[in-house]
Amino acid sequence: MNAIEFIISGMLAAATPFLLAALGELVAERSGVLNLGVEGMMAFGAALAFIIVYNGGGHILAFLVAGIGGVLLSLLFAFVALGLRANQVATGLAIGILGLGLSAFFGKPYESYTIKGISKISIPVLSDIPVIGGLFSQDIVVWLAILTSAGLWYALTRMKAGLLLRAVGENPKAVNSLGYSVFALRIGAVAFGGLMAGIAGAYASTVYTPLWADGMIAGRGWIAVALVVFGTWMVGRVFLGACLFGAVSLAGIAAQTAGLSIPSQILTSLPYLVTIVVLGIISSNKRLLKLNGIASLGETYK
Amino acid sequence: MTNKLDRRSFMTGAAVAGVVAAIGQRAAAATADDPLTITLVIPSPVADVGWGHALAAGLDTVKEAYGDAVSITIIENIYEGPDADRIMNKAVADGTKFLVAGSFGYQNGAMQIARRNPDVTVLHASGFMVAPNFSPFAAQYSQGTYLMGMAAAALSKTGKIGSVSAFAIPELITSINAFVLGAQAINPDIECSVVWLNSWFDPAKAQEATKALAAQDCDVIFSNAQDTPSVVAQCEELGIYSFNLNSSMKAYAPKTYLGCVETDWSPFFKASVDAHIAGTFEGGNAFLGVADDVVKVVDWSADIPAEVMAKIKEAEAGIADGSFSPFAGPIMKADGSEGVAAGATMTKDEIVGMDWHVKGVTTPLPS
Repeated sequence: MNAIEFIISGMLAAATPFLLAALGELVAERSGVLNLGVEGMMAFGAALAFIIVYNGGGHILAFLVAGIGGVLLSLLFAFVALGLRANQVATGLAIGILGLGLSAFFGKPYESYTIKGISKISIPVLSDIPVIGGLFSQDIVVWLAILTSAGLWYALTRMKAGLLLRAVGENPKAVNSLGYSVFALRIGAVAFGGLMAGIAGAYASTVYTPLWADGMIAGRGWIAVALVVFGTWMVGRVFLGACLFGAVSLAGIAAQTAGLSIPSQILTSLPYLVTIVVLGIISSNKRLLKLNGIASLGETYK
Repeated sequence: MTNKLDRRSFMTGAAVAGVVAAIGQRAAAATADDPLTITLVIPSPVADVGWGHALAAGLDTVKEAYGDAVSITIIENIYEGPDADRIMNKAVADGTKFLVAGSFGYQNGAMQIARRNPDVTVLHASGFMVAPNFSPFAAQYSQGTYLMGMAAAALSKTGKIGSVSAFAIPELITSINAFVLGAQAINPDIECSVVWLNSWFDPAKAQEATKALAAQDCDVIFSNAQDTPSVVAQCEELGIYSFNLNSSMKAYAPKTYLGCVETDWSPFFKASVDAHIAGTFEGGNAFLGVADDVVKVVDWSADIPAEVMAKIKEAEAGIADGSFSPFAGPIMKADGSEGVAAGATMTKDEIVGMDWHVKGVTTPLPS
């Protein structure tokens, strides 16, 4: 295996934690709610999932409970930010800190323990192609994340529920006047965001890096939030951004092992730079940006 | 029993203690029979393995020796910076007379405490400042990584070895250099790739780096200053050898664990506490190694061939009695120039400040 094969085979798995969390945040933001607690919800999910797998509960239960954990935190957010109409940014930050604290609390007895990850599923024939074959040998969660992206794209552009969700983000009054509950729609979207963040955390702690260490999410939730904004709330771009980020961060490591004489600090910052530049160029059309921007994002609906 | 506090419960008590502290301190000074309060402050959580674990284990020995005559408090998860200064000051105000500041970034705050409180003894990890009641301490990991390098070269089939390292600072660079020099003592053509994570703590990235090194055919990996078993566990999965610093991670890699360059701080902590109690403590730069019983290599893999093991033991004995140094010339730099002339040996100060790679390290140093 050379450096190129290493990047190609690893980029989807590297992108998955970002992708899952970003898809959830995308749905929440599409409904007009800015939940900045993604990092904390991921960490909480990661801790719960690790504890379950470590105690022999298996990965399916672990992902389920991690998702529920994320939902609970997001509902707490919804209660304060939507129910009590508190500032969404402040509430999101508080929930994020709470999630990190809870993950440290529950994870404490498991500090630096390791578990077994899950095996990969290879697509026959495709995975035997030289160089790019590794792309088709991934664990089940990666495949599901890709399917979820596709499904979400379809739902947001072709299905009534998706269009309704977008409408709530653009003009909640109009949706309300049609007889829908803005509150219920937004709670649903926020809960979905929590679910995905919890699952993203579970992936990080039980599949991608099967060990528990306090603080192991290490800012990945924030990158997910940034990906949503730079991807201008479009599923395809967020998917692309996540893959790009994964690929470039692996490329930075591979470049070091290959002995390229680029300072490692630059290689470390490369994923951020490349993702910002590429997504920035893609979304540089001002008219489209205005069109894609969510009109009521972060605003309290009364 | 060691009391463990985290930041939260520590701060909860702080409000009440702030008032009580002044009175408490006077009371402590008045009665000589009160136990000596020892406080350890560290930036990471104390786990079953790693840096924090090694420091805590060192203090456990002090506790065993002195029993109720000492009381030990560990404050974990304290970020380097103003927060740490505040918490160390608070600990001293609460009666701590012996402070172990367990991270480089605590240096300035800990030094201020030492200057303001001449009756408090401060030990500070990895620093360079010295005062009469303030000693920096560091382990000569290079003595152990040299021995590991010899074992690595004997077991590497590809002639390529690697290291996943945190930051390109002299302490870590020195460890890698010794690792490569040790490997070259067995196989002169061996090459070493290094991945600098530019992060003290990112297990996911550490595992990505391990996979990248394996993809480049490195089949022995040195987990350099990684506190979690991320690298070691990943190597077990990939079926390649690995070793780490500070405390043994054999449990995470029963098949492919090469060994551990362990740090045992108990002799140093015990001696320092003895001196503090006797009133003879003198601050000085404690750069401790095999001869001080602080650096030890343990849990050697059974796969190491007997004749190489004999050479390793010979080198180890030489390092212990001072007749052999991993940094004896001639040593070539990675850029081809001469690092250490034949017949010369690097001094401790030169080793502490090493900022160049030896020949055989293929990854250029970040500048």
